[in-house]
Amino acid sequence: MSSKSQPLKAATAARAAKAPAAAGARQTQKEATRSRVMEAARELFDTQGYQGTTIREIARHAGVSVGSVFTTFASKYEILSQVMEDRLEGLYAELDRVIPHLRGPTVDRLRTMFAIHFAFEARHKRLFLAYIAAAFDWTLPPTSLPMGRNQRLQGIIADCLSKGVEQGDVGSGFDAQEVIDLLMAAYIWSYRLAAWHDADATTMTSVMDRQIGLICDGLRPRTRGGPPTDYPSI
Amino acid sequence: MKAPTRRALAKQQTRAKVLAAARRLFSEAGYEGATIRDIAAAAGMSTGAVFANFADKSDLFREIMLTDMAALGDAMSSAAARGADVEDALLKLFIAGYSFYRSQLPLARAAFSVGWSPEDGPALRSSPAAQALNDLVAAILKEGVKKGEIADADLDVRARMLFETYLSNYPQAIFEAWTLEALEARSRDQIRILLAGARRA
Repeated sequence: MSSKSQPLKAATAARAAKAPAAAGARQTQKEATRSRVMEAARELFDTQGYQGTTIREIARHAGVSVGSVFTTFASKYEILSQVMEDRLEGLYAELDRVIPHLRGPTVDRLRTMFAIHFAFEARHKRLFLAYIAAAFDWTLPPTSLPMGRNQRLQGIIADCLSKGVEQGDVGSGFDAQEVIDLLMAAYIWSYRLAAWHDADATTMTSVMDRQIGLICDGLRPRTRGGPPTDYPSI
Repeated sequence: MKAPTRRALAKQQTRAKVLAAARRLFSEAGYEGATIRDIAAAAGMSTGAVFANFADKSDLFREIMLTDMAALGDAMSSAAARGADVEDALLKLFIAGYSFYRSQLPLARAAFSVGWSPEDGPALRSSPAAQALNDLVAAILKEGVKKGEIADADLDVRARMLFETYLSNYPQAIFEAWTLEALEARSRDQIRILLAGARRA
């Protein structure tokens, strides 16, 4: 349609009609770039590590320009962050399905939960460790949070502990965050075994099981003789 | 004993200057951000002089870490010796650590970053100096067994978990500027939980 022969109003209307389509195409293009970059980054981080991978390599591997990487992601760390979140989505979907059906003592429920976690992540140990290492990168803005602040996982653990309080095998006076952090420290140690000593998921799980057992021993409600009084929480 | 030669003294001074500059730059720029060039410049040396004394950046960093871990070990040891019982000794050990790094959290952060790297991490964590810190925790537990405060139950795992827990509090200290009081309260709870299964009575 030639704009010369059209009245101005109609021409403007015609242009407006085209605009959403163009915007839609740009959007799809952006999404396509985004998934290609993330796919490429995931492979490279997993094989070469985070430090050993450059934006240029990611761009090349993804078949896009460095410029288009930067229109989609602010930094290499952001790419890693997004890749991790993406992966973890699948894990949490699985946990969400399984956890409501878990029965038994808190120690067993926690063990099952972490076993699922390890089995899921076992194939991408380097990626996971790269994520943790990058979280301590000095050049990152203060708003970047280290691993262990992962809200979904912490929420799942917190629910597990609450259920334990209801069931009566976890005392009610504990600071949930402290317990969560103990479990996260145990989890990270197990992960390091995997990454540095090539431990498999079975080994990681057994090391984690032992630690969960010790922690849960410490969470049992204190039984006291005598009349109930207001004991300070532990 | 022969007195050190002038050359040996000069070399010592060069090393000391480079280490001091490196410590400052690692604190300011982190491990990745600090370069040999910047460190040399800050020390008032050529990069050649730096490389005559240190193999590379990781060598420099390791040297600083080893020095610190040795000093930390001493501080933790004397603090723990003042503990009233096994849990108190461990608590004092934790606090000695946090106090030590309180004025140099950026360096602690750099250390963590290196500790996590697949290239340098394993060496740092399994170094004799790092092992010594872990052994110190184990020794405190053994002492607790001797005094009848705890049973000899899973002490190796508990020692390891205690040390990992000590380390795990650093991110909060670094990112949320926790006070020593807050760290102490948290550490006390964590130590209690980790020893609960072994506590006698």
